[in-house]
Amino acid sequence: MVTMDPQIWLAAFFTIAATSYAFRDNVVFKFAEYTFIGVAAAHQIVMGVKNIRDYGWTKIMEGQIIYVVVFVLGIMLYARFHREYYWLYRFPIAFLVGNGVGISIRAAIHSDFIVQISETAKTPLITGDALGTINALITFVGAVTAIVHFIFTQEKLHEGAIGYIPKIGRWLMLLAFGASFGNTVMSRFGMYQGRVVFLLRDWLQII
Amino acid sequence: MSIWEKLTGLPREIVMTLVMISIIIPALNPLGLPLMTGQMSQDWYDAVDALPEGSVILFDIGYGSGGYPSLGPGNIAAFHQMFDKDLKIVIMATALEGTLMYPLVMAGVDPEGNYGAVYGEDYVFIGYVAGTQTAMAGVLGDLHDLVTNDYQGNPISSMPILDDVNGADDIDLVAYVTTSGDIAEGWVYQAYSQYSMDVVGGTLSMMTTSIKPYYDSGQLLGIMDGIKGAADLEFLTGHAGDAIVSSDILTFSQTLVLIFIAVGNISWFMSKKEVKS
Amino acid sequence: MDYKRDIPLAITFLVGVIAIGDYYTGIEAVTQTFNVIKNWGIVLQGFALGLGAVNLFRVHGRRVSARKEGTDWVFSAVLLIMLAVHIVIGLMTGQYEQGETYNWLYNSIYLPISSTMYSSLAFYMAYGAYKVLRARNFDAALLFITAVLVIIGNTPMFPAIYPGFFHMREWIFGPIVSGAYRGVRIGIGIGAVVLGIKTLIGMETGYLGRR
Repeated sequence: MVTMDPQIWLAAFFTIAATSYAFRDNVVFKFAEYTFIGVAAAHQIVMGVKNIRDYGWTKIMEGQIIYVVVFVLGIMLYARFHREYYWLYRFPIAFLVGNGVGISIRAAIHSDFIVQISETAKTPLITGDALGTINALITFVGAVTAIVHFIFTQEKLHEGAIGYIPKIGRWLMLLAFGASFGNTVMSRFGMYQGRVVFLLRDWLQII
Repeated sequence: MSIWEKLTGLPREIVMTLVMISIIIPALNPLGLPLMTGQMSQDWYDAVDALPEGSVILFDIGYGSGGYPSLGPGNIAAFHQMFDKDLKIVIMATALEGTLMYPLVMAGVDPEGNYGAVYGEDYVFIGYVAGTQTAMAGVLGDLHDLVTNDYQGNPISSMPILDDVNGADDIDLVAYVTTSGDIAEGWVYQAYSQYSMDVVGGTLSMMTTSIKPYYDSGQLLGIMDGIKGAADLEFLTGHAGDAIVSSDILTFSQTLVLIFIAVGNISWFMSKKEVKS
Repeated sequence: MDYKRDIPLAITFLVGVIAIGDYYTGIEAVTQTFNVIKNWGIVLQGFALGLGAVNLFRVHGRRVSARKEGTDWVFSAVLLIMLAVHIVIGLMTGQYEQGETYNWLYNSIYLPISSTMYSSLAFYMAYGAYKVLRARNFDAALLFITAVLVIIGNTPMFPAIYPGFFHMREWIFGPIVSGAYRGVRIGIGIGAVVLGIKTLIGMETGYLGRR
């Protein structure tokens, strides 16, 4: 028995509209697409205003008047759209970029570089059993050759017999990318099945 | 046109229709196939299971509607395990839609009904915090300096769960579920690198390969690997849900993809042979 | 000195150095300054969230007022109406996204479209696998082999028949993915650090926009 809930009918309509693009571009999909963009942008504004209230305005109300500077910087962001005074937006952007870059690179050096290299170096290559040894060797060889593959400034590294080192890295990366593709297939189907289950269970109520 | 050329030239509409059918049929007639749990999900489960009662978990809902079909069931299963173990959960959202995912997830968990949990004492939701890694650094650095109210505007000073939670030192485990690479990396950077915290992460299956190095190096204690990981967690926690249901659907649809790959390659090779001869 | 560029570059450098200094030094003054920077950054991010919407207003507003043939201005009008309605509903009640009406609209419109668009790539994956995934040469065959083995391992039916398929999938994700992606991750780390340093010292100025 099909549901009478208008919310579910609307959701079903938009689900089918969004799916229809897989078959052919059409007006219904375009309507859904533009609706989505509008709603997404609106949600950003609503959450942005809420964020400003929760983490900025409440601070001013608590007496931290210095946050007025933050509000001025935030408004300066919108100078981006002005023909003459667009350069004002560079100040808050510089703050955001400096903050973002500083926060991420300080830890990236540790997590992506030091820890990865130390794990590669300290993992024993010869283990108690044959399969463990093979696995450890593949991991080590994979890590080292993959890094060597990305050294493009030394052309001689990619020539002759020594050129097999980055080649092996490329082969192992291709094997890994294949695994990533396999997982991507599962991921996408896993997402879409949720929509199909919604249509069959919540809308048509046949499961 | 030879048979092989015909096989490589099926119209897009036919292929899409077959995909649609492969998803609908198992949804109508589930097979109930057994599940084999992966090691990464097992490690997530074990990491949470090892926490003593009363431990504090910082949980980040870092996904939105796009990731909900895959990650929502896993999020629900994770919360079931945490509430079952009487762990304290401080929930936040670094994704814009996280605050809208929260009620959907909580409707599936029903902490008050199932576990007698009390909002403010056993769990709290501080809402969306903008800035991804800045937000993470802010929450882990000095929570009370950053956050004044919960997601509904209630002062956190009235929440007993946060009385002794000021930052990283008072949190026993960071858990996140996200569709964003920035958030997935960000928690490793900010929680593990900065404070040497224990972290478990859930991501879409297609992102698992890129964060696996963190798992291999011990920076992540476990990974919930998309819908597969969600199904594993549902199985391990004993709360079967949408992810386990999806396993059957994946059987048909992924088998169809394998058939497409086989047909495409065989007909391509055969038509190449015909051209050569 | 071009103060319109040099002062922002100096701000980037200063803020970045304080953030890095908080991590590598234990100096209390640096940590406290960084706390302030963090909290300011969160508020600024809130302001930045509106930039996209303002740009949409400009672009689609122009389209609607011009009403040229073939520009889909009707859909632009739909976009602007949806944008305005959602903003008004979200902000008017003071409950923001927690409001009942906003939630209703979100679950009826945003959630189904977003999750379907995100996931309908499944169709294109299947079509792409059919049309393009070929073991044309050695490199393609390598990608092909693991893709097929992982898909078989992920499909519950095959491990149910023979558990070795699942163990094969787990093994591929063991040494092969671990090794290769560790190398990739180190490369990403180096790249991110180099780009970050270049940004901090003013060699990368793309974020400043036009001259």
